[in-house]
Amino acid sequence: MKRRSIVALCLVAVAAAAVAAATSGATKKATASSITVWLQIDAQSGWPDVVAAASQKFQSDHPGTTVNLQYQNWGDHLQKFDATLAGGGGADVIEMGNTEMTKYMAAGAFDDLSSAKSSFDNSASWLKGLAASGVFGGKLYGVPYYAGSRVVTYRSDLFKKAGISKLPATTAQYVADAKKLLAKNPKKGFSPVYIAGTDWYVGMGFVFDYGGGIATQVSGKWKGLLDSPKSIAGLTAYKNFFLATSRASKSTDETHPNPYDVYAQGEAASMVGPSWFSCCVGAKYKGTTAQFVMPGHVKGQAIPGFLGGSDLAVPVTSSNKALAADWIKDFTSTSSEKALQAKGNIPNATSLLGSSVNERAAARSWFVPTAKHWVDVENGNILRNMLAQILSGKLSIKQAASSASDNIASVLNQP
Amino acid sequence: MASAAETTLFRSRRRRRFWGHTLRAAIPYSLILPVLVVIGVILGYPLYWLVRLSTERYGLFELIRHAGVSVGFDNFSSVLRDPVFWHTLLRTVVFTAVNVSLTMGVGMLLALLLVRVSTAVRVLLSSGLVLVWSMPVVVAVQVWLWMTNFQNGVANYVLTQLHLGDFIRHDWYATTFSQLSLVTLLIVWGALPFVVITLYAGLAQVPRDLVEAAEVDGARPWRVFLDITLPILRPILLILTSLSIIWDFGVFTQPYLLIGQSKITTGNYLMSVYLFEEGYFKSDFGRGAAISILMLLIVAVLSVVYVRKMVRIGEAQ
Repeated sequence: MKRRSIVALCLVAVAAAAVAAATSGATKKATASSITVWLQIDAQSGWPDVVAAASQKFQSDHPGTTVNLQYQNWGDHLQKFDATLAGGGGADVIEMGNTEMTKYMAAGAFDDLSSAKSSFDNSASWLKGLAASGVFGGKLYGVPYYAGSRVVTYRSDLFKKAGISKLPATTAQYVADAKKLLAKNPKKGFSPVYIAGTDWYVGMGFVFDYGGGIATQVSGKWKGLLDSPKSIAGLTAYKNFFLATSRASKSTDETHPNPYDVYAQGEAASMVGPSWFSCCVGAKYKGTTAQFVMPGHVKGQAIPGFLGGSDLAVPVTSSNKALAADWIKDFTSTSSEKALQAKGNIPNATSLLGSSVNERAAARSWFVPTAKHWVDVENGNILRNMLAQILSGKLSIKQAASSASDNIASVLNQP
Repeated sequence: MASAAETTLFRSRRRRRFWGHTLRAAIPYSLILPVLVVIGVILGYPLYWLVRLSTERYGLFELIRHAGVSVGFDNFSSVLRDPVFWHTLLRTVVFTAVNVSLTMGVGMLLALLLVRVSTAVRVLLSSGLVLVWSMPVVVAVQVWLWMTNFQNGVANYVLTQLHLGDFIRHDWYATTFSQLSLVTLLIVWGALPFVVITLYAGLAQVPRDLVEAAEVDGARPWRVFLDITLPILRPILLILTSLSIIWDFGVFTQPYLLIGQSKITTGNYLMSVYLFEEGYFKSDFGRGAAISILMLLIVAVLSVVYVRKMVRIGEAQ
C-alpha cells in the first residue's frame, strides 16, 4: 500500500512539473522579451558608447524588450552563423562584412527589407558602393552601417624629433623619413611604419596604386590580374616599402598583434590602418597622436585605400524580424551615424560626408571583385600566403603572383 | 491415472520453468540494453546522417532549407580527383609517422627511466607528467603561442641567452616545416604522459628473476630489452601505437590553433584541417562528410596494416 502511494505521488509530481514547464514556455513565446544582436569586435573597441545609445533608444521605444548584444570575431563569426542557420538560436540582427554579403544573399540567408527601405534614415543617399553590397536580385537584404578607408596614425613627437618637418607626399619620401626615424630610434624591433606582413588591405593598395588589380571578369569568366606587369610593379613597391619601414613579422596578420598594441608599447612611430585605431593608442601617446592620408607613389595622389565596410542584416531564422529592423533603424539613424563619423568612420550616406582624414583618404579607393566565391578566396588566405612568400623571399614576386592569380581565378570560377 | 488436473499442473509447471529459464537468460541482455540504445542513438544516428550527407549536395542554400539534394558518389569522386586531397594525405601520413615514432620512442625511454630512478625523482617526474596530462589542449596551445611569440616570446629569449644563435624576433611560423615541427612538439608533449604511465605499468609486469637470470648469463642491457622486455610489452605497445595512429592522423585542435586561421593554406593542411576548411569555411557540408568518411577508411586501413604486422612478428617469435 505504502509503495503504491509513493509511486502515485511521484507520478503526480512529474505531471505537475511537465504542465508547469509547458505553460511557462507558452507564455514566454507570446511576448518577445529580448532580441539578439551580433556586432563585430571593432565596435567593442572603437565605439561601444554609440552602440549603447542606440540600444537605449530602442529600449525606450519598446519597453519590456532588452537587447542581448554579443561581439563576434571576424575569423569565426561565419561558422557560428552557419551553425545557427542550421540549428536555430541565432541573432536577430547580424553585422556582415561587405565582402561576405554576396554568398549569404545568394543562399537566401536574410530577410527581405525592401519594403522597409524608406523608413531607414538617409536611405535615398546611401553610399553607392556600400549600398550595392546589400542588394541581391533587386531586393534589399543589408542596410549599410559604416565604411572605412586606411590612414596613417603617427607619433607627431617622434616625427618632430627625427627632423621631419613636412608630412611625406609620396611613398619614396615616406621611406626617406623612415630612415630618419630609424636613426633616432635604434632599438631593435622598432618600426618607423608598422605594417603586418600579410596585411593584404595595405599590400593591395600598392598594387592598385600602380594600376594593377586582383581579378576581372572577361566574358563571364574570372581572370586573375596579379601577374600583370602593373600588379607586379605594385607588389615590388610594397616589398621594398615593407622591408625599409616595418619590423613586423613577415608571416603574421594585422590582428596578431593588433597594430595599435604595438604602437601603444612605443615600438612604432606610425601605423597604417583604419582611422578608428586612434581609440586604442594608449593614454601615454594619446596627446601626441595625429593622422594623415597615406601618399601614393605619385605626388599629390593618396594611395588607394581599401573601402571596407559593414552591412546590418536580419537572418531569415529570426523570430523578431520587425523588432530587429527597428533596432537597425535606431543604430543607423542620422545621430548615430554622425557619432560613428566622430569616431573616425565614414558614415553610410553621402549627405552626411565631411572632410575628415578618413573621408579624404576614401576619395581614392579600391574594392575586391564582387563574386559569390570571393569570401572563399579570403578564407583560403590566398593573398596572405602570397604576401608572406614574397616578403620572406621564398618565392620570386613573379612566381608568387602568378600562382596566386591562377588560384584566385579557379576559386572564383567555381559554379 | 494421470488425471486432467495432474497433466495441466505438470504442463503449467514446465511452462513456468521454460519461461523462468528464458527470463533468467535474458537478464544480462536486458541490463545492457539501455546502454546499447543510448550508444546506438548517440553514435549510430549521427553516423547514419554522416553517410547520408556524403551522398548529398548540401551547401548553404540547402542548409537554410534543411533539405539536401541526392547526388550519389559525386562528392567522393570530386574529393578523390582534387590534388589538394592527395598532397594533404601524404603530408598527414608523414606527420602521423613522425608523431607516433617520437611519442612511442621517447615514451619508452622515459618509462625505462622511471623504473631506474629513486622514488623521489620518480614522484617528481610522474607529477610533472600528470600536470601535463591535466592541461586542457586549448590552454596548452595558448601558452605555447605566448612562448613562441615573435616580439617577446620566452623561447627566443632563452635560446639567445644559451648562445645557440640570435633568436631575438625569430618567426617560428615563417615556414611550413617550422609550423608543423612546433605542432609535432606540442602533440608529442601532450601525448607522452599517457604513454609513459601505461608503459611504466607494463614494465612492472616484467619478471625480475627472468631479467636477473639473463644478466647472470652475460646478456647486455640491449639484449635484455629486445629479448625479454619487448615481447612482454608487445600487447601494450600494440594498443598504444594503434591509438596514437588514430589520434595523430585526425588531430585538429593543435594544428588549427597553433598555426592560426590566417596562416592556414593548402600548403600546410593536415587532413582534419582540410576537412574543416572544405566542409565549414566553404559551407560545403556534403563534401566535408565525404572527406570524413574517407579519413575513417584510411585510418582503419593504416591501423589494420600495422596490427597485422605486429601480430605476425609476435607469431614468428
